[in-house]
Amino acid sequence: MKGLMKYLSPFAPDQSGAVSVLFAMGGIIVIMDAGGCAGNICGFDEPRWLEQLYAPDLSGGECASSVFSAGLRDMDAILGRDEALILKTADAAAVLEANFIALIGTPVPAVIGTDYTALKRMAEKKLSLPIIAVPTGGIQLYDKGQEETYLAIIREFAGGCEKGEPDEKIVGVLGASGLERTSREGFGPLIRRLDPEGKLDVRIFGDRLQDFRELPAVGRNVVVSPSGITAAEYLKDRFGTPYEIEYPLPETDGARFVSHPGRKILIIHQAVLASALKKRALEADPSACVCTATFFMPLDGSGERTDIVLKDEDDLADIAVSGGFDIIAGDPLFRRALTGLSGLFVPLPHFPVSGSLHVPASESEFLQAFDDGLFS
Amino acid sequence: MSEPYFITARALAERGRDEMPAQSVPSKALIYSSPATLSYNSPGANGFGVKRAGLVIPESVMLLVSPGCCGRNSTILSAEGGYSERMFYLQMDETDLVTGRHLEKIPQAVREIIEVPEKRPKVVLICITCVDALLGTDLERVCRKAEEYAGVRVVPSYMYALTREGTKPPMAAIRESVYSVVEKRKTDPHAVNLLGFFAPLDDECEIYKMFPAAGLTHIREMSRETSYEGCLRMGEANFNLLLNPEARSAAEDMMQRLGMPYIELTRSYDADVIARQYKLLGAAIGVEFSDGEYRAEAEAEADSFRRDYSGLKIALGQTVNANPFELAASLAHLGIVTERIFSNYSADDYLYIKQLASLSPDTRLYTGISPTMALYRPEGGADLTIGRDAAWYYPKAPNLPFCSDRQSFGYRGLVKLLRGMREELESGGQPV
Repeated sequence: MKGLMKYLSPFAPDQSGAVSVLFAMGGIIVIMDAGGCAGNICGFDEPRWLEQLYAPDLSGGECASSVFSAGLRDMDAILGRDEALILKTADAAAVLEANFIALIGTPVPAVIGTDYTALKRMAEKKLSLPIIAVPTGGIQLYDKGQEETYLAIIREFAGGCEKGEPDEKIVGVLGASGLERTSREGFGPLIRRLDPEGKLDVRIFGDRLQDFRELPAVGRNVVVSPSGITAAEYLKDRFGTPYEIEYPLPETDGARFVSHPGRKILIIHQAVLASALKKRALEADPSACVCTATFFMPLDGSGERTDIVLKDEDDLADIAVSGGFDIIAGDPLFRRALTGLSGLFVPLPHFPVSGSLHVPASESEFLQAFDDGLFS
Repeated sequence: MSEPYFITARALAERGRDEMPAQSVPSKALIYSSPATLSYNSPGANGFGVKRAGLVIPESVMLLVSPGCCGRNSTILSAEGGYSERMFYLQMDETDLVTGRHLEKIPQAVREIIEVPEKRPKVVLICITCVDALLGTDLERVCRKAEEYAGVRVVPSYMYALTREGTKPPMAAIRESVYSVVEKRKTDPHAVNLLGFFAPLDDECEIYKMFPAAGLTHIREMSRETSYEGCLRMGEANFNLLLNPEARSAAEDMMQRLGMPYIELTRSYDADVIARQYKLLGAAIGVEFSDGEYRAEAEAEADSFRRDYSGLKIALGQTVNANPFELAASLAHLGIVTERIFSNYSADDYLYIKQLASLSPDTRLYTGISPTMALYRPEGGADLTIGRDAAWYYPKAPNLPFCSDRQSFGYRGLVKLLRGMREELESGGQPV
């Protein structure tokens, strides 16, 4: 049945994606909810929230945002008390130092048809800080929330910028949000691979607000998850910034892999990383037949394409039966839904699926498990 | 403003119960998120939220019908709590939000999910959330339809965070749902139900010895029952003993529906109050409880603690198996100084705040959810903190979480608390 989850549990929603882009840039983030959505984000989908409270030096980030629930109650929803929300936000802003204020939507404002453009305008009149309003509704998945948030920030902070002289040394990274971390060590290894000689200025968009103000100077963008593609397209149109879609991975040591000719392998993850892992698998064993699948945004452009788009839990169960895969690599929680799988299952944790349950300590540990599962 | 908002117990008591400061009213300000307040916004994060609570019914499963975001925390909580195989989800899409067509799918979804567990469940709880509150969904009608279609008992439950400060907040509503499965049976004059908690009282609680000695030989708690049939036997009770005010609406419902009266006892950590309550309870039901042995044990423990630790400075949080204001007032009788309490307060707490004001007027009361708490920096000394969240405010002080699922109550609850405090003080290093 469409929408029914008998074996899986819900994935990270759009509002969590929105916060994962904004969190490290020192704002006031207001979740427009009754309480539970803010609790879900802080307690489960934004691991940096807990980390920074005990160790304020956010790795790579500017400084952590303060996260608030709007504390909406039934009469707020029925009467649509937007002005009360803005007044409460103004009270919080009077107490705290912040770089911006973000208003993040949830199902309640979605049901009552909140006008986010009007809300943003109303907030701008009352407050002297930049306002970002993201119309998430808790229905879509995290990557959609990230996509909308990148666009909202870019329009807010670079919308009025003139096309500038790009600096080839500045490399922007889009799609590298807190939810896309493959391990607890974050994106340090990725940055080192993009800049092995330490001569470039690699900027993960979402680490510093200033990076968004300097967008015209970026020489090129690298998109490491599909949520960054729309923003990269926008920046290409607006400032002529070229971009490539890739998730650079360290080279494999092909010598130690055992080839299994003709094996059929399915890799399920976010689409850009799944494609990178597909290439890695084919480098290690060119005779393998490797497919990619995702529950999230697929790649369907002119370059790499996602082979299978999964809509519901039933699709996953069907693949296990009809796909004929010898190996399926995916988040450990998927295993339970693959009731008909006769081949091997390789755990490939993805935070938006299983949260902090299976996060490896390091990226090398993440890749080691993949390599070992496929080729040892 | 450079420090978080607080008010002293004396100042709050002087305002009166109808003049609670705006900073304590959640609807008056944004609600700040810190680890200490996580359980406010996401009750299941520390203990029982609506989903885990609903599953206290033996042989039950739950179908959460909602936007995906409402079930997100279950990914981790259900895995850690061991109930992931009893949770199912029917996710709404954008059209559902407008048309309510998701309700049509529920009977078929129920039929499908009861075939998943190895042992067919006896009860399916359907849980809906804020969006259905706004859509005005008649869940009882939907449940009746699903029950007919799937041939299993289907119980409505509600996770309406929007109504948190209303007459029936989510944790009260789920208690009503849980006890709604109890049906009237022939009354057993020796049977009593303990209502209010989702896990049993500590096995050592004197109730289990004292009640049978007074003729109440069948003491039942939903959380101790291992079968659905077992929980149906709660319908035999002569009366309900209500131990947590959040179960009051459930007790009222059982009185209306089953003619089963209830008597309310308040959890206290003051031996005199505990004794008085047992005396009044005995008088109400025409028995006399022999509580002398337990009272003597508690008073001996209290005397010993007072002797060893008079003047102890503590801080209290709200994630604790106690009303923090009652706890502070009770401990003040033992010479223990509560310097700070981090907890929301309302008019319902006024009685305890007034008591506290007379015993410890300078105790500072902080509302953990105030936006000004973002400015909080640990300062001052506390020899011990009590409550899981209090550890966050005083990271260097020894902490007694005292918030286990199993609940403390009565004299033995007091003894357990004092022994736990002593243990932490003796093993938790030097007071700061």
